[in-house]
Amino acid sequence: MNSKIKRIYVPMTESGFYILFCLQQPQHGYGISQQVKQLTGGELIISAGTMYGTLSKMEKDGLIAFEKEEEKRKLYRITELGKKILNLEINRIERLYKNSKGVEINE
Amino acid sequence: MNNRKTAIRFFTIADYEEEEVWLHNQHKNGWKLSRMIPPCFFIFEKCTPEDVTYRLDYKNNTETNNYFQIIRDYGWEYIGRCVGWLYLRKPLSETYSEQDGEIFSDNESRIEMINHVAKTRLLPSCLIIFLCCVLPNLSKGIETSDPLATVFTVVFSILTLIYLYLLIHCGFKLRKLRKKYTND
Repeated sequence: MNSKIKRIYVPMTESGFYILFCLQQPQHGYGISQQVKQLTGGELIISAGTMYGTLSKMEKDGLIAFEKEEEKRKLYRITELGKKILNLEINRIERLYKNSKGVEINE
Repeated sequence: MNNRKTAIRFFTIADYEEEEVWLHNQHKNGWKLSRMIPPCFFIFEKCTPEDVTYRLDYKNNTETNNYFQIIRDYGWEYIGRCVGWLYLRKPLSETYSEQDGEIFSDNESRIEMINHVAKTRLLPSCLIIFLCCVLPNLSKGIETSDPLATVFTVVFSILTLIYLYLLIHCGFKLRKLRKKYTND
């Protein structure tokens, strides 16, 4: 994996993580935002400009790719590179979670 | 009664937040933005006074159809573009939360827009200033004591100074905005 890509995306923003996570299934921008809203109980709202910017950047960097068009909406899906990045992030967050719990138990 | 009005107001590339507030207030007073003519003309149409959020996004003409689709899906109305800026609005009555009334939901994307403005507008301006300082000096060597040339040099110098002032103002203000969002 390109070390530059890794430097940009690991760690990534919360919005970036959820967008990449949702794109394991083909989805369009607004659809992702609705899904994220549901997943986080309305806690995380990704606005239009942030959504468009993140999708464009991830497409340019090859983390996601254009899948098809549905009712004029562009649907994206995660690529192999995107999956690798997502797994790196999941492992990092898992470690973070375990360590934070561990500290709590020892206290 | 006149149903249209033209307002003249100058905003620099670093004043977009003030511009949003100003447009919001216009709409609250019953004037909705209809279109813009560069560099400083705003055409308004009479309307029912309403609380409407105005937002400016800077895409420098790189926006695609997908951009407009996403904007529409989120309930934003696209009004028009003006020198790389896109003008969007959404009524407060159709806004479900504070974030829903924003086009950016994290500081990373706010800073990214500021960097985009700085890179595509501020840097080329620096080059223009450089040329403005170099060109008169070059012509000075060729020109003789023509009074017209003196007038030209004076006017040119004043314009260059105004431009330089605006450039420094924008540079500092963009830096301040970036800092604000970094520390938020």
